Amino acid sequence: MADPATHKVTVANRGGRTFDVREDQTILDVCEANGVILPVACRYGGCITCAGRLVSGKVRQPKGTALNKRQSQAGYILMCVAHPKQDCVVEVGVESHGDLYQNPFSVPRK
Amino acid sequence: MADGNGKACCGPGYASPAEAITADREKLLYTVALYVGTGVEKPDYLATVDVDPDSPTYSSVIARTEMQQIGDELHHSGWNACSSCHDDASKSRRFLLMPGVRSSNINVIDTSDATNPSVHKVVSGDDIKAKTNLSGPHTVHCLGADIIISMLGDADGNGPGGFLHLNENFEIVGRWENDNAGMNYNYDFWYQPRHNMMVSSEWAAPNTFMPGFDLDDVAAGKYGQSVHFWDFNGKTISKSFDLGAEGMIPLEVRGLHDPTSNHGYFAATLSSNVFHWWKDDNGEIQLEKVIDIPTIDVEGFPVPMPSLITDILISMDDKYLYFANWLHGDLRQYDITDRSNPKMTGQVWLGGMLGKAPEVNGIKVQGAPQMIQLSLDGKRLYVTTSLFSSWDNQFYPDMKDKGAQMYLVDCDVENGGMTINPDFVVDFGKEPNGPSRCHEMRYPGGDVTSDIWI
Ligand code: FES
Repeated sequence: MADPATHKVTVANRGGRTFDVREDQTILDVCEANGVILPVACRYGGCITCAGRLVSGKVRQPKGTALNKRQSQAGYILMCVAHPKQDCVVEVGVESHGDLYQNPFSVPRK
Repeated sequence: MADGNGKACCGPGYASPAEAITADREKLLYTVALYVGTGVEKPDYLATVDVDPDSPTYSSVIARTEMQQIGDELHHSGWNACSSCHDDASKSRRFLLMPGVRSSNINVIDTSDATNPSVHKVVSGDDIKAKTNLSGPHTVHCLGADIIISMLGDADGNGPGGFLHLNENFEIVGRWENDNAGMNYNYDFWYQPRHNMMVSSEWAAPNTFMPGFDLDDVAAGKYGQSVHFWDFNGKTISKSFDLGAEGMIPLEVRGLHDPTSNHGYFAATLSSNVFHWWKDDNGEIQLEKVIDIPTIDVEGFPVPMPSLITDILISMDDKYLYFANWLHGDLRQYDITDRSNPKMTGQVWLGGMLGKAPEVNGIKVQGAPQMIQLSLDGKRLYVTTSLFSSWDNQFYPDMKDKGAQMYLVDCDVENGGMTINPDFVVDFGKEPNGPSRCHEMRYPGGDVTSDIWI
């Protein structure tokens, strides 16, 4: 079998460091292997701790992760379960969480 | 240092609630302190706080016990033994179990050195998931030699969860309950074997509450609104109450300390109501709403804001009920001598979204009253301001950069009343590794939410 395809993942807010990530690897694992420390907890997509923003590119994530619809639409992905499908640019860490949370009483109900 | 072992002949804790009230004043207090969701990539830790006013380091963190890995989200904790084993001299209150809600790890902390506890063992969350299909550990209670822990989800973070059973060596026995039929979700529990009773409450599945609080999830029925009364010996639910709109998100469950009583209280957090339960003369469980905190229309907010009652407890003499309104920002004291008609006797404001007390004791409050712990004699109520990292970041986003705080409220146990102590504040914004969030508190000698008399 051919090796899984590899894509370039650039971490915009860590000095633009760029790593080769295979489609069978998670962005988190490769960042950690290269000494980029990211927030992490459950490592299975269940807790949102590792959320970051996908600035460009495409990733594959399992269904049923802890992100809700609004958060996904705002461009958030979970680094612990995100596998690149193309070259990607991401923002990581708590600094990227500006639009992740909102006070539900302060926004109009649809 | 008083370790809570009243007499040398006996096991842990105190012979009765009345004896506990007369114990030595607490000198140390433990609180969990978190780095989850702060941007500091360090493990959560247990902070030892000096609460002895005669000590030169009074009102400060004097030791920190770091967990072994990052990302636990320490939350609640419980002892390996409490006053329920007071008659057993072979038992001691030595190990504090501190679950990580996110990692599902259970950190077992050895408090033999009360000031400088150490990590004794970590029960791996992966093992728990593999052996029991449970995750999201929450409330810990000892049960004679063994320990049970409420678990909020299955291994994939879906409801309803169940109960994890550990033996006294902290090995996984399996699931405690024989059947969880009737449970939609899980959260806190309290038990009283004398009445063959256990009461459990409902937050939500981890996959729902982890990303933050969302009213669409409430509308979709993804948050709990039921409480369950268990046949404790049979380990099955004997009666569930669907509380409807008045009982959204029932959290902390507190029975009266007097073991002959079968009364207790819990708060429905989102509906911000307090309920009283009791077993009537026919052995039937009765429930009534006894306190209702109205929502407040906040300027610029399209949705009326509930007070969000997040923690509630009962004084050791069963006379006062205390609770925290985490969004409105107040702490309240009610006289519950008349069980069905609580009377408000005290109130203080600390932080909160109404802006009533933004700064207290010279420090800008991040968050609002949240976890509370009362001294055994009922006179000192300690309070911390962080709820849960993703919910903190939603409602009080500055806390991640400025840390949470711990305050002390003096309580008048004769006439009722509360005042914020002007000489005590611990600002977790000034921790050496960066600002952290302080949450649940425990005293080495046991406290009003740890011990059950059987
Ligand atoms: S670490 Fe929990 S979702 Fe990624």
